[in-house]
Amino acid sequence: MNKVSFGDTVRRAEDHRFLTGKGNYIDDITMPGQAHGVVVRSPYAHARINGFDADAARRAPGVLLVVTGADWAAQGFGPIPTKSAVKENRDGTPIAVPDRPCLAHDRVRYVGEGVAFIVAETRDQARDAAELLDVDYAPMDAVTHPVKALEPGAPQLHDGIADNLCVDWELGDAEATEAAMRAADRIVRLELHNNRVTGAPIEPRGAIASYDAGTDSYLMYQATQNIHANRNTTAEILGIEADKIRHVGPDVGGGFGAKNSVYPEPALVLHAAKTLNRPVKWVNDRAESFLSDTHGRSQYSTVELGVDDDGTFRALRTTTVGELGAYCGTVGAFTPTGGSARTQGGPYGFEAMYYSARAGFTNTAPLDPYRGAGRPEGSFQIERIVEKAARELGIDPVELRRKNLIPKERLPLKTAMGLDVDCGDFPTVFEQALAMTDRVGFQARKAASEAAGKRLGFAIAPYLECTGGMPKEHAVVTFTADGSAHLAVGSQSTGMGHETALPQILAATLGLDMARIGFTQADTDATPLGGGHGGSRGMEMGGNAVLQTAGEIIEKGRAIAAHLFETDVDKIDFEDGSFFEKDTNHIASMTEIIAASFDPERLPDGMEPGSLNTGSTFERGIISIPNGCHAAEVEVDPDTGAIAVTGFWVVDDFGTIINPMLADGQVMGGVGQGLGQALMENAVYDEASGQLVTGSLIDYALPRADDMPPMTLEYYEGAPTKKNPLGVKGAGEAGCCGAPPAIVNAVLDALDGLGVTHIEMPLTPEAVWRAIDAAGS
Amino acid sequence: MPSISMTVNGQAVTGEVEGRTLLVEFLRDTLGLTGTHVGCDTSQCGACVIHLDGVSVKSCAVLALNADGAEVLTIEGVADGDDLHPMQEAFREHHGLQCGFCTPGMVLTALALVADNPDPTDAEVRHGLEGNLCRCTGYQNIVHAILDGAKRMRG
Ligand code: FES
Ligand code: FES
Repeated sequence: MNKVSFGDTVRRAEDHRFLTGKGNYIDDITMPGQAHGVVVRSPYAHARINGFDADAARRAPGVLLVVTGADWAAQGFGPIPTKSAVKENRDGTPIAVPDRPCLAHDRVRYVGEGVAFIVAETRDQARDAAELLDVDYAPMDAVTHPVKALEPGAPQLHDGIADNLCVDWELGDAEATEAAMRAADRIVRLELHNNRVTGAPIEPRGAIASYDAGTDSYLMYQATQNIHANRNTTAEILGIEADKIRHVGPDVGGGFGAKNSVYPEPALVLHAAKTLNRPVKWVNDRAESFLSDTHGRSQYSTVELGVDDDGTFRALRTTTVGELGAYCGTVGAFTPTGGSARTQGGPYGFEAMYYSARAGFTNTAPLDPYRGAGRPEGSFQIERIVEKAARELGIDPVELRRKNLIPKERLPLKTAMGLDVDCGDFPTVFEQALAMTDRVGFQARKAASEAAGKRLGFAIAPYLECTGGMPKEHAVVTFTADGSAHLAVGSQSTGMGHETALPQILAATLGLDMARIGFTQADTDATPLGGGHGGSRGMEMGGNAVLQTAGEIIEKGRAIAAHLFETDVDKIDFEDGSFFEKDTNHIASMTEIIAASFDPERLPDGMEPGSLNTGSTFERGIISIPNGCHAAEVEVDPDTGAIAVTGFWVVDDFGTIINPMLADGQVMGGVGQGLGQALMENAVYDEASGQLVTGSLIDYALPRADDMPPMTLEYYEGAPTKKNPLGVKGAGEAGCCGAPPAIVNAVLDALDGLGVTHIEMPLTPEAVWRAIDAAGS
Repeated sequence: MPSISMTVNGQAVTGEVEGRTLLVEFLRDTLGLTGTHVGCDTSQCGACVIHLDGVSVKSCAVLALNADGAEVLTIEGVADGDDLHPMQEAFREHHGLQCGFCTPGMVLTALALVADNPDPTDAEVRHGLEGNLCRCTGYQNIVHAILDGAKRMRG
């Protein structure tokens, strides 16, 4: 029997499959008779479409179906809706939401926007036919820069939407912030850019669907993070009942937000499958992924910190320009507004805070959540301004942070941004992280580095986070008389290891053998609802749904045990996998109770065989507040600008840790993406042509093994949250919040004395070299 | 269409291919060996790494025709039945994979690396992975897995 507890490092159930080539990813799925679809994508950033000539494409070998934007429009399908939680501007008027069709028919607004869908017998034939589709474009002026898009005279993307503006929004007390700013000894100001990046999961997006004419229903597999919600929205677009689509997520090769949104292609695939009455498969190639996956971040911000000469923080004000891309994505306007405002100020105390944001439309791919979705932006803003303040005040940056961290005694509190911080111990986490970094040895390492012509730098970055995603989650447990169980959940792993962690929770709670628990996720037939993955919700939502379901099973088990022992239910205790009758030697294991639950002879009145099977919906009250502290040491070669991150230390407070090995994986992966954004990743559009310059893995730099530092990880487990029964706080996005400020500030520390006070991300060798050069001249 | 033959994971196979068919397409689409993955179109990601006549190659950068007569090892041929190869065991033990999409390429790259250098350093492993991208793990556990896998293979 494989007995497990919370906190155990349980090796993953899914690994054997992945390690032997038996993973079942989207492109691995074949359906009998399947045809292959490709999307024809706009080569222009902004153009009017005068018409389509699809004759040659329709006649090409193997072609089964050509759906142009005009054909799609004629069908009368709905636009792709946005589901932004922020729906109003600061003056109460609704935000501007343009129609976004699945295929453009009269105008394209970004390079990569779909204009036709071609289905053929083979993928190569569909691609060949795509070359033959003639689209008559009349190019228009484009704007790809989020700030320039909002300026007078900028090319306009949408008729009826003035000045390309989607949303104009604020949070906090502007007057109190202004008063506290004025009362402060000084105001430290910094303009910064949070660079545009993209999730770039190694598996590209794709879907395969079949249609059953008899029942007028569909089966669709999709490489997505959000099965239920995306099924519902796709049905809404097509004007069909959601329960006509069974939507299943197979093994998904990473998501990071890029597979969270509702995209145009699944609706096209369903439509084609029905039209042809045969299965249709579509899988993006990498170039299409860069063009058509959602991008993230991209904010130009002014951050102002009101601070006294002794280092006391008084007020924080952030003024941001974000962007939506060509249309509102699924989360759309929320990320640069509410998503970025929530964690403003990090774990520091302020008298007042104010956040103001505008975000508009640009001729670029739509932006939507990317790992962190606003919290990394907030964390970067506060940590950069604190570092700058330390330099201006002549105070050690470590001391300045220490002085302003919210002390444990002040918790719980509601921040000026309305965030409900219930528990944690920011100073202890900070000191724990600092102690890991070998500050004592730093001077010697720095001297050695200088002797070699390099410069060593250090920075520490505490962060404050919050979880998100859909507030409900469902788990279903079904048993077999032999004592085995099957767990189905609506939350979803795209690599995080829920196939292990969630059965671990069930096994630990019920005392079951983990090897005998089957697992299903991401299948609309398996659970009535589900929130998939996003906002670090895996443990908070999925984990608690499993725990709650297990609790209900134990209650039913007590009733069965009471019946077997011929006693009252309130005399039955459950502990360590067994039911006991108090003050007797009566005992029955969970496995025995499961067996009894299938035997009508042994069940109390009102219980049917199989009634131990339980499904339960967990509903979140208030989002939890993960927090932590990251620190980096870097070595910069001032002659070349090259940066080596030589050490990285992490202390995270995720509340209860269910499986430390999996938590470590989340942290390290997030640090990898944070390092990527800080040092090399950048999604760049050419302003003149609107072309995506970084459209391949040659041009868009992802971190490789030798870019990564050794990482040392610890957890602070002294503050499990009471906001959910497991006490978990969400682990997925921490790395993206902590790593960029830690690394960028460490580089600036290394350059201290050279007159370099700021470098925009990514800190490529060229950017660093130019900054040093400019400061010296 | 030309016909080609090769030995894949110890089995003789034949199939028809177009001139433009890539080896990875032949493996996946014709032979149904879907453990070899495609993550890019510019030979950057390494998800498609296999061994061709004992050498690790990116199977997206080889025409199937050019592999006529060759000896191929894919991820499906690494384990011994249900028993994982020591390198696969090490990946599982050290949590060297998350979504698993890069994993087949990582394991085959690791095996080639260790064949050349049975006792590599941390830095040598990182350098040896320069052709393989992983977006999930931050690489640390992959490196630990390969160092441990090498040790297990040394016995
Ligand atoms: S598929 Fe990316 S290198 Fe071969
Ligand atoms: S495990 Fe997901 S890409 Fe490496």
